[in-house]
Amino acid sequence: MKRHVAVFFIMVLSLSFLAGCWSKKELNDLAIVSAVALDLDKQGRFIGTFQFVNPGNVTGGFQGGGGGQGNAVSVYSAKGDNMDEISRRMSTKVSRNLYYAHANLLVISEELAKKKGILPILDAFDRDPTFRNTATVVISHQAKAADLVKTLTAIDKIPANKMIKMLRFSERVYGGTMNVMIMDVVRDLTDDGKQPVISGLNLKGSAETGKTLQNIMQTTPESAPQIGGLALFKDGKLTGWLNGSKARGAVWTLNKIKKTEININKKGKKAAIVLEVIRQNTKISATTIDGTAHLMVKVETEGNIGETKVPINLKDPMVIKRLEYGFEGAIEKEIKSAITVAQKKKTDIFGFGDAVHRSQPETWKRISKNWDEDYFAKANVKIKVDVFVRRTGLRSNSFLSDVK
Amino acid sequence: MEKAKITAYQLFALVLLFELGSALLVALGIEAKQDAWIVILLGMIGGLLIFFVFYRLYCFYPDCLPTEYLQKIMGKGLGKSVAFLYMLYNVYLAARVLRDFGAMLLTFAYIETPLFIANTLMILVIVYSVSKGIEVLARTGELFLVFIYFLAGSGVLLVLFSGVIDLHNLQPVLENGWKPIIKTTVRETIYFPFGELIVFTMIMPYLRDAKKIRNVGIFGVIVSGISLALVMVINISILGVDLTERSQFPLLSTIQTIQVADFLERLDVYFVIALIVGGFFKVAMFIYAAVIGTANIFTVTPPSRLSYPIGLVVLILSMTMASSFPEHLKEGVSIVPLLLHLPFQIIFPVLLLGVAYWKNRKHKKQGTG
Repeated sequence: MKRHVAVFFIMVLSLSFLAGCWSKKELNDLAIVSAVALDLDKQGRFIGTFQFVNPGNVTGGFQGGGGGQGNAVSVYSAKGDNMDEISRRMSTKVSRNLYYAHANLLVISEELAKKKGILPILDAFDRDPTFRNTATVVISHQAKAADLVKTLTAIDKIPANKMIKMLRFSERVYGGTMNVMIMDVVRDLTDDGKQPVISGLNLKGSAETGKTLQNIMQTTPESAPQIGGLALFKDGKLTGWLNGSKARGAVWTLNKIKKTEININKKGKKAAIVLEVIRQNTKISATTIDGTAHLMVKVETEGNIGETKVPINLKDPMVIKRLEYGFEGAIEKEIKSAITVAQKKKTDIFGFGDAVHRSQPETWKRISKNWDEDYFAKANVKIKVDVFVRRTGLRSNSFLSDVK
Repeated sequence: MEKAKITAYQLFALVLLFELGSALLVALGIEAKQDAWIVILLGMIGGLLIFFVFYRLYCFYPDCLPTEYLQKIMGKGLGKSVAFLYMLYNVYLAARVLRDFGAMLLTFAYIETPLFIANTLMILVIVYSVSKGIEVLARTGELFLVFIYFLAGSGVLLVLFSGVIDLHNLQPVLENGWKPIIKTTVRETIYFPFGELIVFTMIMPYLRDAKKIRNVGIFGVIVSGISLALVMVINISILGVDLTERSQFPLLSTIQTIQVADFLERLDVYFVIALIVGGFFKVAMFIYAAVIGTANIFTVTPPSRLSYPIGLVVLILSMTMASSFPEHLKEGVSIVPLLLHLPFQIIFPVLLLGVAYWKNRKHKKQGTG
């Protein structure tokens, strides 16, 4: 009998321990944060704008269930002097526990990045165990960060997901942007031989129309987030932007290009021959000799001819060879222009400092403090590009050669 | 000493799980910056030397526990006191590892749970298995070793597929010369985790095939050393030196970078499993050694009677040894190695070995003469 009582007692005890009810949070008591946007108010305090997922409205009508007609997300803001304060003040506006594990996007406004820099805000995201430091960081370019996360988007109903997917897709096929994680930014900030670089997002259209459902009921949403350039940082503060081909030149140098296209002029026509890059490998190296830094960028890339606008004999290997020289020049120009901007801004976003650190550790100890100003900004840059055109697609010569 | 026998493979599994235990989770040897892996490998060589000291001692007295041969070497009174100190040392280390384990769980997973609850649940399981004896522990180890290495293998593959490894982070090699490397080795890695093998002196007599001890030990130390160095190489090449240094648990941050095909991500559970399995075996080995040793000194039979009281002591000690996690870590880095590890793992054993040599040589002479 005693034994039975003991067994019963132990079972009841384990029931209370093993049920896993300690600090439980029911799903319908969680507000899932999908994006965090940070702005600066006039007094210099932070405004945190959080995008919350409305789970009922995310699933479409096709999948059964009550796919709602409402917004896929709701957005609330709170002010505070630090991230924790903002997060706790949010409870005066949101009825549920904030759940950060799915927060994949951090939008920082250009103004905040310029005035206060990113140093005072990142620690909270780096330290918190629920917020992932693999979340993507972007800078809102010529727009408020809050407006970006307020804008409703089509196709991908959750705006945060749209922006992240857009960054990843564009990184893969175009190359003018990078998907930068919080972890990368923190690593670059602590690295004395490399400065951070973060992708920018613009807001097309007005912020007001973006907030309403009407925006995504049209075939062309009037307001939508768009990728716009790369933000350069120095000592944690935004110092400038790289746009268009310069941005792509920076991504080349950082060896992050996966696929892209390169075009050259031919026979008086602009952008007449297009090379589809299918793979590339970029190596950078740097040395200092007598107080001058010598930077070296080596690019090897392979691709196919993607398009021609002028008749040209693609059957001739010599013609292909000449085209390769042309493409090499085009890539070199892009890289050169990106490095020149960075040198002007005196911020080594490419990690040439790290290259010196690796090749001349003794010298690096001496010069690391003023690498950006005295060495990188005045450095000689050498760029060597090797392009290999492998194939020409389904046709050899273009039909243009035979147009009568 | 209980009547039990374990196989060579089981001992190997225990050695490996014990070595990996908590060392896998922390930034081992990071004071040497990007050369941490060299520090670990040097520590491994040091660990091999220490193991040989233990092994020679074992060869002199293959059938007794260290608590017994201490008495044979040093005389009854002194031997018993030193043996008792060793048991206190084991209890203290068990409490340290338990605290590590509890604090880690609380830091990143169970933020609102009190430390006491996490530690109690863990120690209950440990004490139960310890009270069942070494054979049960050994068989559990046999099972979990396969499991852990399966996790490790798949983890490494996933990290490789994520394409986040940048070996440039390991350069320049030997940036500040050998000095910081030797310093970190002598102050840290040689004791933790390799010197802690001293608890296995309490288990060696249980091995069924005594001849295999030497190979099991060498093999266990080398495999664990290489595994630890490899993990550190992966950590540093993914996170960089700075982040590795600032991370409480670099392995967790490394695992969080895994993103394969948009669905194999957030594999934090890998870390939790490594944490719980490693913590379990490390604490269990220390407590087992303390239980067997104490029972042997005070002739308590059966020894398993002591496992619950000692478990309670370990639990309370783990709660009271430090008021904050940073304090706990600081003690572990700057006080424990020189004040506890150095005498208990190196100085005493080497002295003992010297005395044992001297005594036994005399015996031999008497025998032949």
